[in-house]
Amino acid sequence: MLAYAVRRILATIPVMLFVALFVFSLLYLAPGDPAAIIAGDQATPADVERIRASLGLDRPFLVRFGEWLWQIVHGNLGTSIFTNLPVSHMIAQRIEPTTSLMVLTILFSIVVAIPLGVVAAWKHGTWIDRCVMVLAVFGFSTPVFVLGYLLAYLFALRLDWLPVQGFTSISQGFVPFLRSLALPTIALGLIYIALLARITRATMLEVLSQDYVRTAKAKGVGQRAVLFVHALKNAAVPIVTIVGIGVALLIGGAVITESVFAIPGLGRLTVDAILRRDYPVIQGVVLLFSFVYVLVNLAVDLLYTVFDPRIRY
Amino acid sequence: MSSATTRSGFASAPELADVLPPPRQRGKVMTFVRRNPTIVAGGALLLIMILIAILAPFLGTVDPTALAPAKRTREPSAQFWFGTDMLGRDVYSRVIYGSRISLIVGFAVAALASAVGTFIGLISGFIRGLDTVLMRVMDGLMSIPSILLAIALMALTRASVQNVIIAIAVAEFPRVSRLIRGVVLSLREQPFVEAAVASGTRMPMIILKHILPNTLAPLMVNATFICASAMIIEASLSFIGAGTPPIIPSWGNIMAEGRALWQVKPYIVFFPAVFLSVTVLSVNLLGDGLRDALDPRLAKRL
Repeated sequence: MLAYAVRRILATIPVMLFVALFVFSLLYLAPGDPAAIIAGDQATPADVERIRASLGLDRPFLVRFGEWLWQIVHGNLGTSIFTNLPVSHMIAQRIEPTTSLMVLTILFSIVVAIPLGVVAAWKHGTWIDRCVMVLAVFGFSTPVFVLGYLLAYLFALRLDWLPVQGFTSISQGFVPFLRSLALPTIALGLIYIALLARITRATMLEVLSQDYVRTAKAKGVGQRAVLFVHALKNAAVPIVTIVGIGVALLIGGAVITESVFAIPGLGRLTVDAILRRDYPVIQGVVLLFSFVYVLVNLAVDLLYTVFDPRIRY
Repeated sequence: MSSATTRSGFASAPELADVLPPPRQRGKVMTFVRRNPTIVAGGALLLIMILIAILAPFLGTVDPTALAPAKRTREPSAQFWFGTDMLGRDVYSRVIYGSRISLIVGFAVAALASAVGTFIGLISGFIRGLDTVLMRVMDGLMSIPSILLAIALMALTRASVQNVIIAIAVAEFPRVSRLIRGVVLSLREQPFVEAAVASGTRMPMIILKHILPNTLAPLMVNATFICASAMIIEASLSFIGAGTPPIIPSWGNIMAEGRALWQVKPYIVFFPAVFLSVTVLSVNLLGDGLRDALDPRLAKRL
């Protein structure tokens, strides 16, 4: 197990290196020559050349990549072109709403989707099953901003139950915090719910047809225990895998959701950075999100043995 | 209007009455409809959207970019079916013309990502030496969430429909290459491929005659899902201002422009939203139906 964990962790290094290389190339290839900008309009080509040399921009690509990586490893993500603040500082300021939104959405989706999938598999072929599958298709087809506006219009503008926009920090009370994130969570969660409900249903269908489930039923185990204890436990590995992979959908969706609901998180930061072409910020956010995504999936891989002790590495 | 030419197979489809075979064969058509309701429903919806895109100038539209400052933010009425936006442009015309961008981007990304993905997948499946390197690179690309990857690429380039297509295709093709590589790896061990190798068939012929035809079913199913996903990503990119240039009416752009006013004039956002959802739904239905019909193994898994 330990050997596997070490091997699995080592295997993420080339992936992370590639992501870093990609993100670095982004800045490298970005239009606009920083040396020319710093030198100003009056500068001669010789001046620009001197500034370029003093910034180290004339050195080979790989040397610059190495130095950039060294800085990243030490937590230095560079400085924003627009605000002149360190990127890591800007990210730290914006991380709470995004983390809250994502964690809430994952919890909410799991709580909703897994029972839906289990029931759909149990009532396979009935109208309940069909309803869940239709919900799943709609979930895949409704872009997060469409659902976001629909929910905000209904529950905030028309019914006035929840705040229309904005974010309330958890430090200002748990209930206002939940109220401010309720609609974004549902909007962001639908596609994730669709994904999880589908995979849960499919895996449960497979598991429910196995002999040990029949044995459990035959010896008189209650329906609920068969479904949620015997069967679901063995369906856990594929479901958990999709929970991990689906985080990519959530990250992309969070960027959009935060725009719809005016939540001052990393998504807003990304959108603002794009509109201002603030490359160091774009770089930092892409790097951070990808890193989180890789780590989540690493954790999922390592958790397999917890869910299924038969898996030995 | 490249969509008209590329999709002319659909566009010139004859009327339903002409399609329906003589009564003796009608039973077969009905059987197909009954057995594949999702393919028929999705296909019909998509066909309607394609027709709308092609026939946009004849559907009672006006110039979707014509400004009319005197007629700003009019509510939907007999004259302006979907109302007007904050610059006085007719939202109905913009939404109808906007369908072109979504469909072009959806189909183009599906085609491009499938082609590039198949190519990389074949190389990876056949050339052992390149396999590890290629798949690590694919893993790396796949570990950047697609919308973020597309955003990052769009930040590098000028906003244009072409660049949007390329950016989304780059985000989507690694999954295709993984899929094709998997199919190739399982196919090369099959007796019929071994027999072809043993009888001296050259590699290009084996790929063309034995491998490619067998990748077609999963590839087509996958292409429909890429198409749906590309439409959503295009709209999302345009919505946050990193997609199709604002002068071109696309559903994401219309929604982005309606954003500032949406609490007072929600219809500007809702009309393109409904069209986008229905179009994506039609493609997803088609994909689900195709998967169930073509690839029972995959259907069981999802």
